[in-house]
Amino acid sequence: MEKLHFNFDTTDAIAKPVHVGVVASGDLEVIFRPTDKKTEVNIVTGSDGFKEVWANVLKRFFDRYPIQANIEINDFGSTPGVVNLRLTQALEELKDEK
Amino acid sequence: MKNSFVELHARERALSLLDAGTSKEMVGPLDDMISPHLEPQNIVPESDDGIVLMKGKIAGNNVLVVSIEGKFQGGGIGEVSGAKIVAALEKALEDNKNGKTIYPIIILDTGGVRLQEANYGLLSISEIQNAVIALKKYVPVIGLVPGRVGSFGGMSITASILSYLIATNKARIALNGPEVIEQEAGVREFDSSDKDLIWNTLGTKQRLATGLVDEVVDDTVDNIKNSIINEIKTKKDAHRTENVDFYLSLLDQLDLSKKLDIESYNKLYKNVEVTKHDIPEAVAGSEEGTKSRGRVWFEKMTGIKNATSSVSTVLHAQKGGKEYVAIVPDADNDFPRVRNGEVGLQEGFAVASVINKVVAEDKDKDVKRPIILIADVPSQAYGYQEELIGIHVALGSSAAAYAKARQAGHPVIDFIPGDAVSGGFLAHGLQSNRMIALDDDSITIQAMSKASVARITQRTIAELEEATKHVPAMAYDIDNYEKLGALYKLVKGIGSWEATGENVAKINQIIDGAIDGLNGDRTLHFRYETPIAKESGRKATLKVRKLVDEQW
Repeated sequence: MEKLHFNFDTTDAIAKPVHVGVVASGDLEVIFRPTDKKTEVNIVTGSDGFKEVWANVLKRFFDRYPIQANIEINDFGSTPGVVNLRLTQALEELKDEK
Repeated sequence: MKNSFVELHARERALSLLDAGTSKEMVGPLDDMISPHLEPQNIVPESDDGIVLMKGKIAGNNVLVVSIEGKFQGGGIGEVSGAKIVAALEKALEDNKNGKTIYPIIILDTGGVRLQEANYGLLSISEIQNAVIALKKYVPVIGLVPGRVGSFGGMSITASILSYLIATNKARIALNGPEVIEQEAGVREFDSSDKDLIWNTLGTKQRLATGLVDEVVDDTVDNIKNSIINEIKTKKDAHRTENVDFYLSLLDQLDLSKKLDIESYNKLYKNVEVTKHDIPEAVAGSEEGTKSRGRVWFEKMTGIKNATSSVSTVLHAQKGGKEYVAIVPDADNDFPRVRNGEVGLQEGFAVASVINKVVAEDKDKDVKRPIILIADVPSQAYGYQEELIGIHVALGSSAAAYAKARQAGHPVIDFIPGDAVSGGFLAHGLQSNRMIALDDDSITIQAMSKASVARITQRTIAELEEATKHVPAMAYDIDNYEKLGALYKLVKGIGSWEATGENVAKINQIIDGAIDGLNGDRTLHFRYETPIAKESGRKATLKVRKLVDEQW
């Protein structure tokens, strides 16, 4: 297990907290929480040694969607593709009116 | 698969059952109620600790859905996950008591105790069972075993207690998983690589044929929802843990000279001649029984020398207005898997028979007889025939009997001079409202042997031992157990084997003190209320209970 921490300079505030995903094998859960501070990403991952990969996946995501949020990720060995999918899903939830 | 229920995650499962727009999740992922015990062991936690609690409506009926996430840590029950279930069931009980009908539905997709939080898992599961028994006086408690994990371990004991069990053919139900049996009893007992044997034995088709589930439906959301609606309407109750005479008769008629196979068991199951079984009080015998800490204390506390009984492993007797019950080893037992004092089929059903009789005899009395359990149980029995017949029902029968006795007003006190392990402890010990243990290094309290825990959690024994240093619930000794706050008293200065007259008097005095201090308490709440529990042992439990109470 490894704990990772990232900061991003993003500005699009989000209106509500959302949660998607499950900490299942090859999967992860993602929580977005509104914040008025800097965007913070805190990751607990079961696969050690992938800090650089995480940095790249997250950078690409925030380049495209510069949301400002407190983000928590619990990861159980998901691939970058699955990570991106879950992040995008969380974004979809934000748009959901219910 | 289209509209599959099994393929859904726990949260989606709960939502799929509830009428649209009626769901309300409690202590969800945003409530920050994460297990404090996983990260110290380098295990990634989940924000809901693998349990989804949702209130809502099904066809207009108020329901509480408890959905266990089988994909997170195998659906194992630890402190937070367990406390979520217990707290929600207790709120549902309160509502039903107040005339507000709410039907609890438990979706079991679980390996049982979360081995990384072992002793918390055992405590929680006993508390879940207690709540289920109490709820059944008001409403059926409906169980659903969809699969892929199925239902195993202590949660199968819980499953046996539920009113009505619905399953799909993608699920298996057992007490011990085949891998654990192979680890504990050898590959000849149960070959865990033989998938056909496993599914034919533990699969729900076989379980339906022998009364261990009540309905098997095809895996669609609609089928499952319809079965639940139907059960809410008809309120059927399998009374699965109340067939003690049936099972004791079945065991009498079992041919122990050869290995039991599925076909002969199914034949036997259909042709059991049921006779009434009373387990008479233990009497003095001419020969010494197999030595054990439990036996030594039972004999000294009841004054019966070389105690023997019609079921050689279950001793009970009345002394000084109290009923003493012990499970003891018998080196010559016809059932090979209980020769070291494990709790097997006969033990579970016989203890249930004894306790049910005590409750029936005292039914109309104002003051109910105290029941003193002497716990020295190294584990449940690990065996193929045990699983085929359904050892989880045997253990469920005794757990249910103790819980009912306590809820009826019998003080149930557990005295632990020996081991208190796993399913054995759930069946014989954990339903007591006070636990008294001797402070002796030889005592083991745990959910599984180190070898099996290492195999199942895919760690080395060295890694496991490292983990126990950080998480008391993972440890195997009584001093770490005390840190959880569940004990009424840890008695110093008396060794496990030192049942002298003086020491027996001392223990009896402590037991009397525990009984006097009950003041009508029929619950298991004492475990959360000791200074150690409040200070550290059950801090997370108490926080969960507060949150559920606020959000209910």
